[in-house]
Amino acid sequence: MRLGRVIGRVTLSRQDPAFRGARWMIVSPMSRPQLSQPGEELISKSASVVVYDDLGASRGDIIGFVEGAEATAPFERPTPIDAYNAAIIENLNYQPAS
Amino acid sequence: MILARVDGNITSTVCHKTLRGWRLLILQGIDEEGRETGDPVIAMDEQGAGIGDRVFYTTDGSSAREHVGDEHSPLRNMVMGIID
Repeated sequence: MRLGRVIGRVTLSRQDPAFRGARWMIVSPMSRPQLSQPGEELISKSASVVVYDDLGASRGDIIGFVEGAEATAPFERPTPIDAYNAAIIENLNYQPAS
Repeated sequence: MILARVDGNITSTVCHKTLRGWRLLILQGIDEEGRETGDPVIAMDEQGAGIGDRVFYTTDGSSAREHVGDEHSPLRNMVMGIID
């Protein structure tokens, strides 16, 4: 599971019926610089990810998202999903040792 | 298994049901000399690792799902042991 900041949303005009009732978030992955200054909303250098969300995350939230096979695990039937929002983060306690 | 250092933790109540009640740590992958490699990841922990501890964690989702007892769990990273 990786941490990311929700920076936007995507609405699809047509989509696979398996996705009914879900929303798509644009998420900027958080690496060390972003985690050290959570209040700054620094956008990451790495590419943003479109994440499937059924927890109700909103713009500015920090979320924990999973990718790959684990992203499809929560679904009954095989679903073409790359990234799944597994957690909306309440508080983030980041104290790197270095 | 991946060698990592515990750099923090997170809490979340609005999350997938299989994550509830689990300690969720922020792990930073490190090499043998302790230099940081890659981005931090979140892992479940039942070993009681604290901040600054060195641990190794598995990225095999199927063993994590088995451990949680729910094959629909989106879990992958799980702390397997703390290094003395």
